[in-house]
Amino acid sequence: MALLLRTFARQGVCLSRQHYGVFYRHAAPMGTTAKEEMNKFWAKNNKLNRPMSPHLTIYNWSVPMMMSITFRGTGVGLSGAISAFALAALVLPGTYPHYLDLIHSLSVGPYLIGLAKFGLAFPVSFHTLNGIRHLWWDLGKGFRLPEVYRTGYTVIGLSIITSLAVAFLL
Amino acid sequence: MAAIVRLSSVCRRGVKPLFYQGTLLARPLVVPHNYQEQPHQLTARIHASQALNAGSGSKAASLHWTGERVVSILLLALGPAAYFSPCPAVDYSLAAALTLHGHWGIGQILTDYVHGDAKIKIANAGLFLLSTVTFAGLCYFNYNDVGLCKAIALLWSK
Repeated sequence: MALLLRTFARQGVCLSRQHYGVFYRHAAPMGTTAKEEMNKFWAKNNKLNRPMSPHLTIYNWSVPMMMSITFRGTGVGLSGAISAFALAALVLPGTYPHYLDLIHSLSVGPYLIGLAKFGLAFPVSFHTLNGIRHLWWDLGKGFRLPEVYRTGYTVIGLSIITSLAVAFLL
Repeated sequence: MAAIVRLSSVCRRGVKPLFYQGTLLARPLVVPHNYQEQPHQLTARIHASQALNAGSGSKAASLHWTGERVVSILLLALGPAAYFSPCPAVDYSLAAALTLHGHWGIGQILTDYVHGDAKIKIANAGLFLLSTVTFAGLCYFNYNDVGLCKAIALLWSK
């Protein structure tokens, strides 16, 4: 106890030096929320017009990183497609079979149709399988690095296989 | 613990430290090695600051997190349901689950990348509008057109 008090008494002089800040903060019964702190950070850096340090352009990309952003990208893409479909349903005259017939009448070759189906199926498949991987993480499992890579490659492999199967066999 | 704080304020010399009132906020104390001989006192300090916060927060964020997982699992179950037993109940459930899952998902993206109180509010309002229109459109499609399950089946039959 005395040790603590002596330390704090000494700190009074040191408090003006910012790099001691972390060790010599006094606890007072008040606090800012994380949100407030984050807003302060962004407001200050925007006001001072500070450039952002390079990050995506210099950091070594890894498979987990790429899978993560692809997961996010497929999510945004699928969500956008669903919203576009819903908007079209509200705005366009005529019914769905009518527009399907329009697409059918374009008479595209079978492999292009297969490719288009693969293009639709793969985002759904990847997002679903990686979503399951995320739920597995939410249970607290599979965080060790070899496990992350193993589940990652499994998701990629299964996504391709199921997309091909759904596109060309169904 | 308050006694420690007040005593140390008295011990501090000069006016300068008063300018740092803003930094005198409760944070977990990072402890240098030579203080480890009194771990129980330091633990008490850390626990004390936690006790001040306990019970004053809301469970909203935690419940939101759980809700997101529940909807994800529901959506996973709706996949086979749509394939093996398509029906209006599945159509409308799919519309609801897809919209809500997408709404919360995009919400997380906005939280990650949009900063500043005003911008966040505008972005979330726009998202809410989009999700509402999406749900309305999907329900309209289910009611006035072939329905989601049939639509996918027809699309794939080509």
